[in-house]
Amino acid sequence: MDRDTRRLLDDYRRNEAGPSENTLIDEFIAGEFGRRELVRRASILGLSVPAVGLLLRAAGEPVPAFAAARAAASSARIRVGVIPPPVGAIEPSTFEDQGGLETGGICGEFLTRATQSKTLLPELAISWKANANSTVWTFKLRPGVTFHTGQMMTADDVVATWQRLASPGSQALSVIGNYLKPTGVVKVDSMTVAFHLESPVSNFPYLTSSTTYQAIILPANYQMGTFTSKAQTTGAFQLVNYNPGVGATYNRFSGWWGGTAPLAGVDVTYYSAPAAADAALLGGQIDLIGQIQLATDRSLFNNSSVQLFKARGATHREVPMRVDDHNAFSDYRVRQAVALTLDRPAIIKTLFNNLADIGNDSPFAPIYGLARSVPQRKKNIAMAKQLMAAAGHSKGFSITLTTEMTGEIPELAQIIQRSVKAININMKLTILTATAYFAGTSTGPPLGWGNTPWLNAPINITDWGSRVVPNVLLTSALQTKGVWNAAHYSNPKFDSAVKSFLASSSAKDQNKYAVIMQNLLLHDTPVIFPYFYYYLAAGSKHVKGYEADALGQLYLSRTSLV
Amino acid sequence: MARFLLKRLGLAVITLFLVSVIVFAVAQLLPGNIGRNVLGGFATQQSVNLLNHQLGVDRPVYVQYWSWISKFVQGNLGSSLEYRVSVSSLLGPSLVNSLKLAGVAFVLVVPLSIIGGVVAALRRGRFTDRAITLTGLSLTAVPEFVSAILLILVFGLLFKVLPVDATAPAGAGFFTQVRFLLLPSMALVMVLFGYIARMARTGTIDALDADYTRTAYLKGIHTSTVIRRHVLRNSLLPTIAVIATQMGYLIGGLVVIEKLFNYNGIGQRIYTAATNKDFTMLQSSVLVIAVVYLTATIIADILYSVLNPRIRHAAAT
Repeated sequence: MDRDTRRLLDDYRRNEAGPSENTLIDEFIAGEFGRRELVRRASILGLSVPAVGLLLRAAGEPVPAFAAARAAASSARIRVGVIPPPVGAIEPSTFEDQGGLETGGICGEFLTRATQSKTLLPELAISWKANANSTVWTFKLRPGVTFHTGQMMTADDVVATWQRLASPGSQALSVIGNYLKPTGVVKVDSMTVAFHLESPVSNFPYLTSSTTYQAIILPANYQMGTFTSKAQTTGAFQLVNYNPGVGATYNRFSGWWGGTAPLAGVDVTYYSAPAAADAALLGGQIDLIGQIQLATDRSLFNNSSVQLFKARGATHREVPMRVDDHNAFSDYRVRQAVALTLDRPAIIKTLFNNLADIGNDSPFAPIYGLARSVPQRKKNIAMAKQLMAAAGHSKGFSITLTTEMTGEIPELAQIIQRSVKAININMKLTILTATAYFAGTSTGPPLGWGNTPWLNAPINITDWGSRVVPNVLLTSALQTKGVWNAAHYSNPKFDSAVKSFLASSSAKDQNKYAVIMQNLLLHDTPVIFPYFYYYLAAGSKHVKGYEADALGQLYLSRTSLV
Repeated sequence: MARFLLKRLGLAVITLFLVSVIVFAVAQLLPGNIGRNVLGGFATQQSVNLLNHQLGVDRPVYVQYWSWISKFVQGNLGSSLEYRVSVSSLLGPSLVNSLKLAGVAFVLVVPLSIIGGVVAALRRGRFTDRAITLTGLSLTAVPEFVSAILLILVFGLLFKVLPVDATAPAGAGFFTQVRFLLLPSMALVMVLFGYIARMARTGTIDALDADYTRTAYLKGIHTSTVIRRHVLRNSLLPTIAVIATQMGYLIGGLVVIEKLFNYNGIGQRIYTAATNKDFTMLQSSVLVIAVVYLTATIIADILYSVLNPRIRHAAAT
């Protein structure tokens, strides 16, 4: 490191960096993580581009190019197939389905945007910074942003949007409900907003990103229920027509803060049958399908006229087993035995042609890089039989697995059914439509999770989207009384580790708590996480500059057609 | 004729009333709470009760029925619970689309199958007859989703001569729209050809064997005139009845075809409404189809009576 670089770095540490930033710098210099991880972590903490460059120079690394190249503007319109159509009205704060989030995401923007590499990019916010213990996060907003209505974006708009997200009725509460109350969103000045959290969250900026798909910034005077009747977001494309169950039309927004998008517009067609969308892509009637799967779109794989876009993420299926039910699953040894019957490499080969990562019965997908030192759980029928015998179930038992007709889930259910036969479990399958599976109440009596099948069946399989950080998977699905805790799991040691994990800003500490949680989950096995599959999109060879998003957002502002 | 029409209309009104009662009762029997469906699992019971009250679904069933049906006859189809927009704004375009598809299929299948049936009857027992009959039977026996996939593979993907998505771009002209509807229509032709051709063949054979036909031949009338004036006029009567009964299927029963060709018809709307428990949409859609079906039946009855005065006079007395 030359003298000038050292002096600049010391100045930065003394005058600008807080405790979190200094920990990051110390860990990077000590070799705790590499250049890529530095860029990712720096983006969470809101380090400026010059600061990251300075750090890399100090370590003798080349400075990355942050600006992405973009094609020239053309008159071409992209035709996109979305499967399935949005359920219900398009209302960002209540988004909970794939069709809805894709429809809103084409025209909507967020404070930050998470990329495939998990780096956080500034979008409607240009910088952010935490206080010493990560309980207050302050975001500086991008100047010169115009809504499609012509209004300029200010802090009032961001405060109104986020107060709505933190209020009852918002689907974003599953992500932010534990940390943020409406009163915690405060306007500092016309272009600055502060988030006062209920407890420390070191990776909070991720929660303001596109992965919290409800968090599309809307004008302060936005009226609920008017999203599709009036263009009022800030993105490169403005929604000009929406026909429920049929399609949507977007035109290029000439006042976009990012310049001019290469495409003149986006024409979305909704498909309820994957086969119809596949045929339309192969027949040249659409250019891109937002999400495909091997199980339902086999004709698009190994096809020379189709290009696949892959995003390695944390999209997965959970197999929760009720720990509080009056059946064999109340014994952790039985739950471990079930998990040990699964041949995970064979499962991902069969269901995903290996386009998936193997799960280790915790939400720590390989992309998080956490708890990787803990050995992978493998198929072991002998041990499974021993555990069943020790639990007094050597002769097995009968149980019903309830699940939904979504993607490859019915096939996974059949694989589990076949696998547990080896330990004499007679498993019946109840496969419901997604509507029936998620029907009913999700809160309240009898046990706090209402009466919906997906939160109350003795054993089930549920689809989960990807998250850039595992926060919601830990707090909602596994923490005591978590709103989506389908296993009804409760372990004070685990809860404490979650809290510590969320509050810690150093990579070392985060991994330490992740290892604790991973070991607890392997022992207790409230939920089987068999795999984390890649998010796949398919397009014609004409599509350029498109990157799949692990959560399924269709980000088309840099996409073009050739 | 006026009495005949009035009688038919009266019967249609009674039928519609019964259909409305049945569809309303079935919708009530579907499991699930409307307020809960709309607000989701995490909504408080208080909010659910409030919404149910606002929607009026906490009132006695007969009050709800009267409220719905009285608005329906005034043209107010209610508001979709799923999409929060008027049912008519969703159902209208879907109904128009279904009518377009049914129209194209109708224009293709009716002349084709009548000609096929008549030719088979005229060549009774010969190769042509067997070929037409066997082909028709074989096509009818193949499920529509199989024939549709085959058509997609051959015309849409292999030769790429016809679009596989049946929805034409916005603002497309008449011929472009017809082109987009050709593949699904061909699938429907394959399903219906055998049935209608068989009816036409049987009717033609009966007419050819009838005394009046023999008399016409004995009078020295030319064969083509005998067939046109005496055979077809009588042989097509049962065929018209069969075609009329297929209208309900062509308008509202094409869920599979609409799904495969991603066509926004009324069948898809009903299917989505049923799966998402959009009760107002479901009830109104079914009743609209019933209206269309009965209208088609009445038109068929009128045609039937025009072709066969005995029917008209018998019905009027």
